[in-house]
Amino acid sequence: MIIFASHLLSGLASPDLYLDPGSGSILLQLLLAALLGAGVLLRSQWSKIKKLFKGKDSTEEDSDDDEE
Amino acid sequence: MTKNNIRLAASFRDPNGFIFKQDGKLYRQVNQSYTSEYSLLMESGLYAKLVKAGLLISHEETDVHPVEPAQSFKVIQPEYIPFISYPYEWSFGLLKEAALKTLSIQKRALKAGMTLKDASAYNMQFVRGKAVLIDSLSFDIYHEGEPWVAYRQFCQHFLAPLALMAHTDIRLSQLLRVYIDGIPLDLASRLLPYRSRLNFGLVTHIHFHARLQKQAANPTEQRDTNAGRMTKKGMLGLIENLKSTVKRLEWKPAGTEWGDYYQITNYSDAAFQHKQSLVSNWISQVGPKQVWDLGANDGTFSRLASDKDILAISFDIDPAAVEQNYRKAKEKKEQNIVPLLLDLTNPSPAIGWHNRERDSLMERAPADMILALAVIHHLAISNNVPLSQTADFFADTGKWLVIEFVPKSDSQVQKLLSSRKDIFPNYTREAFEEAFAERFSIREKTAVEESERFLYLMEKK
Repeated sequence: MIIFASHLLSGLASPDLYLDPGSGSILLQLLLAALLGAGVLLRSQWSKIKKLFKGKDSTEEDSDDDEE
Repeated sequence: MTKNNIRLAASFRDPNGFIFKQDGKLYRQVNQSYTSEYSLLMESGLYAKLVKAGLLISHEETDVHPVEPAQSFKVIQPEYIPFISYPYEWSFGLLKEAALKTLSIQKRALKAGMTLKDASAYNMQFVRGKAVLIDSLSFDIYHEGEPWVAYRQFCQHFLAPLALMAHTDIRLSQLLRVYIDGIPLDLASRLLPYRSRLNFGLVTHIHFHARLQKQAANPTEQRDTNAGRMTKKGMLGLIENLKSTVKRLEWKPAGTEWGDYYQITNYSDAAFQHKQSLVSNWISQVGPKQVWDLGANDGTFSRLASDKDILAISFDIDPAAVEQNYRKAKEKKEQNIVPLLLDLTNPSPAIGWHNRERDSLMERAPADMILALAVIHHLAISNNVPLSQTADFFADTGKWLVIEFVPKSDSQVQKLLSSRKDIFPNYTREAFEEAFAERFSIREKTAVEESERFLYLMEKK
């Protein structure tokens, strides 16, 4: 696991990084993103699928659910 | 006088710019290293959108002379914030709001090709009734493939304390005072109860995160310089998951010592009305710009000021009372009240680098006016503070003082004395007036109807 993980760890591009992101944190993100990104993909495809059924009447915009 | 003296003590970590004071006003020098980022922030429309949504404070570009001209690109003047508070002074609800807004900002930034380079709770302030980002230089250009540099910080500053407050004990927000960069994840992981491991979000972002941090600290392999990639969708998935994890954290303001105070006070209706009208009239009479209500409970008397469009900082020691105050403020969309947690006998100290990064309560004083209603007996009797020293404290904290003297004959004081020896022969109204007259001129003095208490309006000498 460590060996696999170390290949995923990035020497991050920007040299003047102001904050230390933490190498463990980066690794976790890469794992989670791979896992959770699929969920986001599905959701964005789902609205396309719904549009297929609703036809040309659908003018739904991708809403940005921001808290007040 | 060295150049460092006009730079703000807390503003030193970011090489892209810093805050400085000139002629009593606050400015931000934006350095040349930030030129492309600043341009993208403004030209992409991200700045305008965030300001419009009330998520980021606005700023003006100025001609003010920079403190370090060799590095400077621009000097901007951010919107003035009349009172600065810190995460360890916030209620659960306010910290949660700040967390969710940080994530919303990151989501919107990504849409504009930018990303937050930090996620510190100190980048947020409570202004006009909302949590808002105050660090305009927090935005970096987003390069697809990069992970979120601020993820660890978000977990330590926001997720860990919120989880501890919700699942372990509300008082653990005070760990933020000790750990200046948020609560270490291994500590949070240790303190969280077993049932937190049933929650996917807490398991990954805190428990597993803590373990990976520990492993990465002792690398057995040379790190590969190949970048690990993370798509934009992956990043958005991560942000969404953080959002839902934070949203699920709840805390009900109940079961604490002062949470139900106003249900059990010893005031008759007439006494209460009289006290309210006295305080309200005196506030109008003095016309302060800012009022600090010390021992405000749920902010009932603070609102006598805030309802008049006077900024009221509403302090109390009880997290449930502060949370109730915060919820009321959000419900009514109030813009002039700031509910904060504070122990008067141990107010927020100065912390951080050089003991100067975060101001103590006294450093944020004096206020124009202080309300010290129903607190004197807690200080003098429960905490053994001599009356002359309470007078000194209030004199250092405010210019005008509205204070309620609660005599020994009052039932609340009787309760305080019921379980201890009465070692307070000098706790009398005469002694109180004498002690306070050393530091204040007593402008008004009124007996509260149907009560043993007296209300005073005093002006610092």
